[in-house]
Amino acid sequence: MAAMRARHKIRAPRRGVSHANTEDFDSIWTVLSSSLTEINTKNASTLAFEEIYRHAYKIVLMMRAPDLYEHVKQLEQDWLKTNVRTLIVDSISSSLVRAQKSTDAQDQSSERREAGEKFLTVLKDAWEDHQLGMGMVTDVLMYMDRMVTSRTHPPIYVACMALFRDHILRSPIRDGSPLTVMDVLESTILFMIQLERSGHIIERPLIRHCIQMLEGLYETATEEESSKLYLTEFEPAFLKTSKEFYQAEGQRLLEMGDAATFCRLATQRITEEEERCRYMLSVTTEPKVLEVLDEQLIRNNIEEVVNLEGTGVRRMLDHDQLDGLRNVYLLNKRVDKKNQALTKLVNTRIVEMGKEINASSILLPQVPAPSAEKNDKGDKKPEKGKDKEKPQNQQTVSAIRWVDDILSLKRKFDHIWEHAFTSDQGMQGSIGASFANFINMNSRNSEYLSLFFDENLKKGIKGKTESEVDVLLDNGITLLRYIKDKDLFETYYKKHLSRRLLMKRSVSMDAERQMISKMKMEVGNQFTQRIESMFKDMTISEDLTTNYKEHIARTGDPDHKPVDLEINVLTSTMWPMEIMASREGTAQLPCIFPREIDTLKQSFERFYLDKHSGRKLSWQASMGTGDLRATFVRPNGKVQRYELNVSTYAMVILLLFNDVPDGEGLTYDEIKTRTRIQDHDLIRNLQSLAVAPKTRVLKKDPMTKDVKPTDRFFFNHEFHSPFVKVRIGVVSGGANKVENQDQRKVTEQKMNDERNGTIEAAIVRIMKQRKTLTHSQLMTETLSQLSARFVPDVNMIKRRIESLIDREYLERVSEEPPTYGYVA
Amino acid sequence: MAPSTDSEFVTIVSNDGFEFIIPRSAACVSGTIRRMLDPSSKFPEGLTGRCVLEEFSGIVVEKICEYFCYNEKHKDQVNVPDMDIPPELCLELLMAADFLDT
Repeated sequence: MAAMRARHKIRAPRRGVSHANTEDFDSIWTVLSSSLTEINTKNASTLAFEEIYRHAYKIVLMMRAPDLYEHVKQLEQDWLKTNVRTLIVDSISSSLVRAQKSTDAQDQSSERREAGEKFLTVLKDAWEDHQLGMGMVTDVLMYMDRMVTSRTHPPIYVACMALFRDHILRSPIRDGSPLTVMDVLESTILFMIQLERSGHIIERPLIRHCIQMLEGLYETATEEESSKLYLTEFEPAFLKTSKEFYQAEGQRLLEMGDAATFCRLATQRITEEEERCRYMLSVTTEPKVLEVLDEQLIRNNIEEVVNLEGTGVRRMLDHDQLDGLRNVYLLNKRVDKKNQALTKLVNTRIVEMGKEINASSILLPQVPAPSAEKNDKGDKKPEKGKDKEKPQNQQTVSAIRWVDDILSLKRKFDHIWEHAFTSDQGMQGSIGASFANFINMNSRNSEYLSLFFDENLKKGIKGKTESEVDVLLDNGITLLRYIKDKDLFETYYKKHLSRRLLMKRSVSMDAERQMISKMKMEVGNQFTQRIESMFKDMTISEDLTTNYKEHIARTGDPDHKPVDLEINVLTSTMWPMEIMASREGTAQLPCIFPREIDTLKQSFERFYLDKHSGRKLSWQASMGTGDLRATFVRPNGKVQRYELNVSTYAMVILLLFNDVPDGEGLTYDEIKTRTRIQDHDLIRNLQSLAVAPKTRVLKKDPMTKDVKPTDRFFFNHEFHSPFVKVRIGVVSGGANKVENQDQRKVTEQKMNDERNGTIEAAIVRIMKQRKTLTHSQLMTETLSQLSARFVPDVNMIKRRIESLIDREYLERVSEEPPTYGYVA
Repeated sequence: MAPSTDSEFVTIVSNDGFEFIIPRSAACVSGTIRRMLDPSSKFPEGLTGRCVLEEFSGIVVEKICEYFCYNEKHKDQVNVPDMDIPPELCLELLMAADFLDT
């Protein structure tokens, strides 16, 4: 063990060279300081790092580190003050100083620019040298740094950077001048940026370096992010000039008076600033300067731009300038998430255009108004040709055009919305609201829309593919979405649908079904319930017809020639009966059917009631049609046969003539008494039989266009038609068209009655569930329940509540606040 | 001598003339040597890749270089074998560690 210890004696560390030749601080410092000066003059390659390091090490070992620190600082300070500063100050030409004072940058700009570039280059070089030199000094003094750095002494590098800040940047450019190098630097850079903004090319890397210098310098020795000179000194100045610039720029662009240009340039400015921040300044400035830009250039001006006369958004909308709109949208979006300025104008424009459409749909019918009115009063003119040219139908056409116009407007805005407004949700909502707004301004909207569907389901979808039909119906449904009074639409739709179904005018049942399922999705089950049951009735009736035919075949007496019967049994609550019943609303005596038909009728009644006892059948002759085989004897003895397809009434009238000897006629009154057809229907039917030129089966005396009670009618043996089958339409009866004023009033009345019922039902439903409710709560609930169908009038609801109280469904529970209770 | 700023190896020289050629990466375990060799600061050491350590003898520099390699080999590992350090050298090595910022 002892031997071991002897062998492994710990060698005392040699105190080495340092102790051997006991150099004192001053002599070592002399060596060191000359080395540091060499470093400053970029002559480091002649010095050995190890040597300098060792010298510093020695001094620190002497416990003189703080002295060394101070000495080095002093050395660097002297160096900066004497050499570097002179260099920089010399590079500041007088033009830079002068420009400092004068605000107008444009004059002598090239001279100033040159001088500025020179100055910036010198400053940049000086900074880079200083940075490099200090890096080296720090390296060689690393040992000292490790010993000295503390709260009071920042690392030597930081200390030297601070020296640069204080003795270069913050030194006056001339003795006694208030301007510092920093001021000149700042104004020069700002001047350069100004040049770039006005379209000149400047040396970006140079400025980038100077900015980097400012970013590398801090106000305090602790080097917090927020105390960068860039942030404390340059950025505020930059933002200030930016603000001024964009204020002026906004004014200038606005004066140009072209919204598209404004937006294009503004967008360009935004990208410019983004780029500038990215490549020249600091990324941290980007949001700040953009905010300045947004504020000054956009927010302050956007409204004016949007509303610019002749070039603003209005014009862009009218001319589908998608790019322009997109720019406006994006700019507006920057400053206002809700895009109020733009939205407002778009909305007004939509409503304006919508009103135009509304107006033109009203205007048009007024042109043929005189004749149309005559028509309405039953004081009728003969029809020329087919339905299309009927003046009444012009109104229908205009209704359909109204829908088409709205759809195309909608398409236009959808397109704009998608391509220019980047499918913005808020925009979509407000565009929709505007559409709803003007659509609901047209009180006939429901009727028009229903007519549109009617027209398309009757004719429009012929020869179209399924997907085209789909699109068409979808379009219509979109409009339906906007219509407030959906119950009104339902009424019209039912009315039009019943005509289509009974008269077999519908082109495709598939399309009808599709339409209903679409409505169901859009408005809800309740809405389509009745419409669906109409379809059900039709199917049941088909079966019924077949069954009846079988029944007749089984039981029918062979000697009697059976008349084919195709019957539709309709549930009266589901179908819009009022259109089938008499218009005057009074109970009318059923028309007298001829014998053949009457037996048929009775036979069917027996058959039906046998199956479904307890039901009541009422015959709606006005909706039916009949096929007749008529024989015409020409004067030359030839016999010509035609198959006539006429309305039930016309059939009844024609059958009368079976019993009339040739050459004799019947007067209007005779016909009337023998058929008991209402005046209204009779006139129309006689008109189509005797007046319409192509289907003149009867002759009338005198040959006037109007039907008078005294007129006589004869069977027209000269009737001639190129076709064997002749369809005789009833004048202005069958086609679905716009209602006249009286009809509208009736419809509205009906509507109101129905609404009253619906409102009462809703109130009772709510109260049954809640037992007691305050007035206002009941109101809100009722409104929300009904809103899917229509927007009820508050007074209407109040009246319903009153009436329910009167009838003791509800009672007043308390007065303050008004509360109702449900009476079970 | 070939310029060796980009060479993979550097030479460490002791005060009594012993030269040790070790990988640059290993030498840079020492903060001091790393800065010494930094080519951007234009010191001759950086340019030539040759560092003369006037403070230490061959024996110590050998141990220092051994440590550099040892350090690099076992960097970021746990459960590494201890390095053999002769007790008589430990004080001098401590000084060297301080000097070289290792």
